[in-house]
Amino acid sequence: MIRHAIFPKLIFVSLLFASAAFAQQPSNGPSVSVVGSPEVVVKSGGTATAKLTFRVNPGFHVNSNKPNSELLIPTTLKLSPPSEVMIANITYPAGEQITFPFSPDEKLSVYSGDFHVTALVRTAKGTPTGRFRVHGEIKFQACNDRQCFPPKSTPIEFDVAVQKSAAAGKHRRNPAQSPHIKG
Amino acid sequence: MKRNAIILAVLVLIVAAMLYSGRFFQRRPAGADATPGMQGSAEQIKGKQAPEFELLDLNGKTVKLSDLRGKAVLLNFWATWCSPCKTEMPWFVDLQQRYGNDGLQVVGIAMDDAGKDAIEKFAKEMNVNYTVLLGKNAVAESYGGVEFLPTTFYIDRQGKVQERVFGIADRKEIEENVKRILASPAAGSAPAHTVAHDNQQTLHASPGVNR
Repeated sequence: MIRHAIFPKLIFVSLLFASAAFAQQPSNGPSVSVVGSPEVVVKSGGTATAKLTFRVNPGFHVNSNKPNSELLIPTTLKLSPPSEVMIANITYPAGEQITFPFSPDEKLSVYSGDFHVTALVRTAKGTPTGRFRVHGEIKFQACNDRQCFPPKSTPIEFDVAVQKSAAAGKHRRNPAQSPHIKG
Repeated sequence: MKRNAIILAVLVLIVAAMLYSGRFFQRRPAGADATPGMQGSAEQIKGKQAPEFELLDLNGKTVKLSDLRGKAVLLNFWATWCSPCKTEMPWFVDLQQRYGNDGLQVVGIAMDDAGKDAIEKFAKEMNVNYTVLLGKNAVAESYGGVEFLPTTFYIDRQGKVQERVFGIADRKEIEENVKRILASPAAGSAPAHTVAHDNQQTLHASPGVNR
């Protein structure tokens, strides 16, 4: 009977320790991470837009892609697609123009919280269907209200699901509604 | 079966306890003003002899910390991409101007990859009148690893680190620290006189970088 009581208690205490440990996960420095697991669906020979949401951890900001001074390091995204996928037109949002306590006379163009970067994903005609992984990295330089951190790069990845092109389909029910542009 | 479950639970408990203690000790702050990351080793440096370094200035001349023995040194790690560092620079220019004759030497160690020309151009634009050195990671490491900027060390006339400040500081706090290190006695000499200048003195920044 006693043994029966000890076992669930042990499990409970273990879980308590484990959750406490992970609750203490330090937010040592700044980070920019991709939100979710983005996937882009594109028809073979077509184009689609990849919308990647990035999150700056609380308390920090990063320079936008077009900071207000040439000395400031912009946030940039570099993508290295596999040979089956082409990436073009990486588009960044405008930064928020914010004044910080450390520089009350100067506005900085920054991202904080979530921001979205888009890129055009294109596949050539005849690209085989399947799932392809695009690797890349986001480079950023972050600060908080008192200090700045050296430039940092974080690897990112997302999947491109290439589907059979509309033209190749034998049983197209309503081709006029296809949202994809043929490349 | 029941025995195996208890052994498993005990193992899970041990692992969880190890995780918990690991996180706990990782997060213990070493100083109230410290940001997690570098503070542990930087805290240890306080009160100790400042690590010696040899770095090139903007003229290509080697500068050693020991060359400045007997002076009070404000050692500031900065970078051209660091906006809070930029805010502090005119304050340092002012302090160098006002307290230079009393034995203050401000030394800025540039910790970026912008290259000498860009650093020099920036320093000129900021009317820097103090020594600017081209930083090396090894020097930053010897000071506890400068993981963020600005980071400032106040080194007294005996070469001991009296204070270190992470991030931008209040201007008054900077001046108080400068007065403290100026008041420290030089090695083997009588205590230096207390510095009490007029804080309202107008800034007349000299053009160009200190050579």
